[in-house]
Formats: sequence, C-alpha cells, structure tokens
Amino acid sequence: MLNPQIYRYLDVQKTIALDPENYLINMKQWTPNVAEMLAEQEGVILAPEHWEIITLARNFYQRYEMAPAMRPLVKAVATELGAEKGRSIYLMQLFPGSPAKRVAQLAGLPKPTNCL
Amino acid sequence: MTITAATADLLVILRHGPYGSSWLREGLDVSLVAAAFGQKVSLMFLGEGVLALMPGQAKGAPGQKATAPIIDMLAMYDIDRLLVCSDDLQRMGLQADELCAAVEVISGENVSAELDRHRSVFNF
Amino acid sequence: MRYALLVMGAPYSHQAAHSALRFAQAIIRKGHHLDTVFFYHDGVHNASILMSPPQDELHMRNAWAELHEAHGTRLEVCIAAALRRGLLDASEAKRHAKTAHSVEAPFELTGLGQLLELQRQSDRLVTFAP
Repeated sequence: MLNPQIYRYLDVQKTIALDPENYLINMKQWTPNVAEMLAEQEGVILAPEHWEIITLARNFYQRYEMAPAMRPLVKAVATELGAEKGRSIYLMQLFPGSPAKRVAQLAGLPKPTNCL
Repeated sequence: MTITAATADLLVILRHGPYGSSWLREGLDVSLVAAAFGQKVSLMFLGEGVLALMPGQAKGAPGQKATAPIIDMLAMYDIDRLLVCSDDLQRMGLQADELCAAVEVISGENVSAELDRHRSVFNF
Repeated sequence: MRYALLVMGAPYSHQAAHSALRFAQAIIRKGHHLDTVFFYHDGVHNASILMSPPQDELHMRNAWAELHEAHGTRLEVCIAAALRRGLLDASEAKRHAKTAHSVEAPFELTGLGQLLELQRQSDRLVTFAP
C-alpha cells in the first residue's frame, strides 16, 4: 500500500482520505466545502464565528508555516478580531476540547505537534 | 564580576545555522514550548547560529521546512529578546540592522553575564 | 542531589548516549538520585525496541531499561522528535495508522513541557549531545 495512513474517506466518492483522527491526508484537498463536511461529521454547522477563526488559522499557517498552538492562536485572534474574542474561553466555546487541534483539523492544517 | 540574581526564566543558546542539521529547529521548538508554558524566554544566537537571522531567506528550503517563519513567529509567543554577539556578526560580515529580526547586540564579555541573568539555560 | 539527564545523541553514532549512561551509573553509585533521563533530538533512537546490535556490544535500549528497573529512573522521550524519526509506541502507532510500533515501557513518550518541568525540579540537569 502506498499510503497505509488512510483510515477512511470523507466523501462517498472516496477521493478525500482521512487519518484516524479525521485530519486530511492531503492538505491540498481542503476547500470550504471540505471544512463543512468535516464539521458535519461531528454534528456541527459552521457559523460565521467559526469561519473567522478558521480563516485566521489558515492565514497564520500561510505566514508562519505552522498551525497555531493555543497561545499564539489566542494572541492572533486578539490582534485581528479584538480582545473580546482573543480569550481561550471564547475559543473553547466555539471549538470544544482542544481548540488548537480542532481548528487545525477543520482548517486543513497539519496536526499540531503534541508538545506545542 | 558581580553576581546578580536571575532576572529571566530561560536562555536558549542556538549555535547552528538553518538546514545543515535539525539543531536550530529543535532548539527553537524548546523555546516555543517554554514560552507557551508562560516562561520568559531569551534566545542567544552564537557562532553559526547567527545565520538563522540572515535576511532574504526563501520560504521552504529544498525538502525541508524553513526556520525563518519561526523567527518571524517568535513575537506571537512574546519571545522578543534576541541576543547576538558582536564578534560573531563581524566574523560573518553581517550588520545587526540587516538581520531579519530586531536583535540586541552584546559583546563577547557579556555572554557570561547573560548566562547569569537567566535561571536556566539550554544549549543547542 | 537530584539529577536529570538530557540525551541528544543516537546510540552507536555518537559518544553522547554512551557517556550519559556511564554518568548515570556513576552518580547513582555516589548516592545521588537520578529522577529522569529525557531523550530529545537524535537521542530518541535510544528508545527503539527494534535495535539489534551484535551480541558482543552493549544493548543501549536494554541498558537504559535496566537503569529504570534497578533505580526507578524515568525514561522520557520527546514525542514530536520521536514521531518524526519513526519512534512510536502502540497508541501513537494506532493514532497514525501505522502497522508497527517501536517504543515500549519503561520508555514513555511525553511532551517537551516535561523537559522544562525537569529543569525546574532537579538540582542539576546535565546535557549529553554530540
């Protein structure tokens, strides 16, 4: 098998491969539609509030070549969207559990390395 | 030499340039994690390590991830004290103001004073 | 004194890990306490259960494991450095859909935060690097 990492597929046509934690195997396949499908699997419909964070994370990755960990994510949100949103509690509400990991997964970014 | 109490948490010494090895990258990773845990981190670029701050580095070296974007990202982690030794700058033919980040230039004698200023030191 | 070691050299490639092991044995003999050995950079290769040196050479992974058995020294491996280099325990192998794993107890995959914690808690953190 060329890529034994493939765990399952997001779409019925079997074109978008996912790993066991629902991260895209091929980051280039990300589209807004893919993000919506990823969210839908968890029973979440992406609202504009989700989208502004997802977009911000993708821009962060464009610039720094790294998916934002929690601390820089909070700082970037505070800088760009204001102090009201730049708080971990706000991000926890939007992306429960581990916001940095969840945002990276929905934004089609690499899995944040475990220790960051 | 006067002995002063440590005034900052962690000093990470980086002695390797980009791409030749993973020392620079993995040294920076330790710095980011420390900052993420709320420690006050200073970086000291010594010897070849100064090359991490070369201006005009292309995004993504052949087959490797670049380190320049991490340097650019340090501010997002509130790592804002980057130290460079004047002897090394001279040796590499570089000027502090042409580097890709704002640095504090220290003399060779002040390197040891910086070691004293920090509660702990990692050397990469 | 409470010691911790940071090992950043691969076994059989560089002296660092071999010196670290001898240093570990020496400080314990002297009556000091060795809390933890933390493996980072190429040092993560020390944790490979698959290493198979010839019988007349020291088996580094097992030597570290014996240190743990005899003295309770924790053997911690940076997870990010380890995953890149193909050192995964069973749960990481599952997480990344791999068919095999190469790290087993007493070695533990852990975050770099643990290294910073060690530095805070130990009287001495001694680095062994190539």
